[in-house]
Amino acid sequence: MENGQLRAFWYDGVTARRHVGTAFWHGDDLRLEGDDGETMHVPLADLVFVERGVLDGSYSRKVDDGFRLVFTDPVPEALAARLPRGARFGKWIDGLGLPRAAALFAGISAALVALVLTAPNWLGPRIPPAWESRIGDAMVGDLQDVSCRTPSSDAALARLVKQLDPDNPPTNVSIANIDMVNAVALPGGQVLVFDGLIQESSDPDELAGVIGHEIGHVRERHVMQALLRQFGLSILLGGVNSDIGSTLFGLTATSYSREAEREADVFSRAQMERSNISPASTADFFAELAKQGEGGPGWASWIASHPMPQEREDAFRKAVVPGKAYRPSLSRADYAAIRDACAKDPDVEPFDIF
Amino acid sequence: MDGLGGLGGPDAPDAETSAFGFYGTWREYLPIALTNLLLIVVTLGIYRFWAKARERRYLWARTRFIDERLEWTGTGMELFVGGVLVILLFVIPYFVATQVGQAMMMRGETAIGLALFVLPLLAIFYLMGVARFRAIRYRLSRTNWRGIRGGSDDPGFRYGWSYMWKTVAGYAAFGLGVPWAMVSLWNQRWRAMSFGPMRFTCSADFSPLMKRYLLFYFSPFLAILAVVAFVFAAAFGLQVDGEFDPQNPPIGLMAAVGIAFLLFYLVLGFVWLAYYAKFFRIVVGEMTLGDLSFEFDAKTWDWIRLGLGDVALLVLTLGLGFVFLGYRHWKFFIAHMQAYGEVDVDGLTQSTTRRARHGEGLLDAFDMGAI
Repeated sequence: MENGQLRAFWYDGVTARRHVGTAFWHGDDLRLEGDDGETMHVPLADLVFVERGVLDGSYSRKVDDGFRLVFTDPVPEALAARLPRGARFGKWIDGLGLPRAAALFAGISAALVALVLTAPNWLGPRIPPAWESRIGDAMVGDLQDVSCRTPSSDAALARLVKQLDPDNPPTNVSIANIDMVNAVALPGGQVLVFDGLIQESSDPDELAGVIGHEIGHVRERHVMQALLRQFGLSILLGGVNSDIGSTLFGLTATSYSREAEREADVFSRAQMERSNISPASTADFFAELAKQGEGGPGWASWIASHPMPQEREDAFRKAVVPGKAYRPSLSRADYAAIRDACAKDPDVEPFDIF
Repeated sequence: MDGLGGLGGPDAPDAETSAFGFYGTWREYLPIALTNLLLIVVTLGIYRFWAKARERRYLWARTRFIDERLEWTGTGMELFVGGVLVILLFVIPYFVATQVGQAMMMRGETAIGLALFVLPLLAIFYLMGVARFRAIRYRLSRTNWRGIRGGSDDPGFRYGWSYMWKTVAGYAAFGLGVPWAMVSLWNQRWRAMSFGPMRFTCSADFSPLMKRYLLFYFSPFLAILAVVAFVFAAAFGLQVDGEFDPQNPPIGLMAAVGIAFLLFYLVLGFVWLAYYAKFFRIVVGEMTLGDLSFEFDAKTWDWIRLGLGDVALLVLTLGLGFVFLGYRHWKFFIAHMQAYGEVDVDGLTQSTTRRARHGEGLLDAFDMGAI
């Protein structure tokens, strides 16, 4: 059995007195004999390497009671092989080696960061519709009081929406008694068309284009994506603000990604084609907006929330099939009913968004 | 019984050497700092607990007290567990409480909602005191010298209350009670600490601090007066010179005003450091441990240089140099610490205080220094 002896000093962890003496090692055992006569027995398996500045390294015991041992003679190879090595960075990293561990961690971190940054896109559509409805209710609450409804406007809207929404049940579209030129898709699958936009329109086909676009946002689950992007995960806990006015205003300003806008336009055009509604009016509508862009009073809000590059007008213009038998999306009577809804609804409350 | 220098250890100092010595160099520490930085970045910050343990192991191992090196026996895992505990026991409930409080207020239950907002803030206030106490306790219990460690039998919860009421009292007296509060709290927390079998004593008195504190207290008013006077003079100068052309704003004047604001905060910082330097000198100077007495000899200018050096380091490294701050601060601390007296090695027996299992989670959470 291998053995030997070498000079060392140690602290026993009981008092601060240094014990200088000889360490006799025999196999896996150390016997420390101090020059003052005191002896200690320490199995090598009990030792733990501790970094130290002056000499080669000191050893403590696993039981961590303050015991410290330092060899003052050079340590023979055989003993050095049985002594514990210290941790440099930490167990896992020492096991892998620094470069590999760093690369592994970097990969994991990059994946996590990518996941979080793209969360709005992949998390949004996976939020259950019921949850989204609850968020919508928490944000906006009951819109009964501010929606304009007459029996004829309800019927007219229903006829219009059936042409624009292939799903059953179709999206709930209401007219809001708000004097802004805008329309908004609410979380939970509702679309609100503001009366200001209806009054400014000259043609039911323009309304079809706008409402179709908002329904597109609903059906493609863009609303949740946009809310997550704008407010972060806190929106999932029940919303940002309880004041209906500022919330509605905030929703009108919600910015969808360009991709979302494009998808909503594609949806709108597809529905209009399916229902034989001409996209020409919508193209004209966009052109008018672009012209009025720089200072038009009412339209400014629509533009601010729906960026209007030339390509959108061009896309709708190109979608016009020459020679196709288009028909108006609504009859004159229906269109008039919608335009009069807010004036004729006896129950509607006046609403000021500010 | 050995006096200082007579202990015969490997680093035995001669009569002129200070009881404390630091033998680290930035070149030696640089690889540690850089690998720490690398691992902190690739683990999105989680490694910082292990990085801190590595930093302390190096710094303690390069620090000599009398004739032997210190040893740091804390681990990164301890600090990590402490941090996780803080998140579970505090951060998450805090978050939940504020969200519920917000919902309550929206529902009209204003009283409950408000309470749910205020209570966590009070809890944080209380825990700041507890955190500082427990961090000192943790560091003492993980510091070995000749195999002996320190600690405290007090868990620090009573200190938390003292921290709250003394801080409030200090500020309530129009802010004039702050030196009293600072000194009194220092005394209180260090009196609960021990090393080996010996308790620290500290009986600092705050009155010598009042002069410097009042200088700091009134300096903002003086500074504002100076700024106002300067602005008036500049405006007056413009009037005499001629028209004030709004198309060509007086860049010089605006730059001067901007620099004046910067200088205001800088000078205010210096005046505060003047107070703090004296505070530290006084409180450390009144501490004893058994037959040892201590002294801290850094002057205001030393502190200012430390601060400016830190800022320069961070600016020049675009923030990445933060890994070196621990080294700088420890070196500063040891370089200016002195001790006098005697150590009885047979009387310095092992501490009987509990060796707490977790690290300074609370302290990390509140981002405070321990000492």
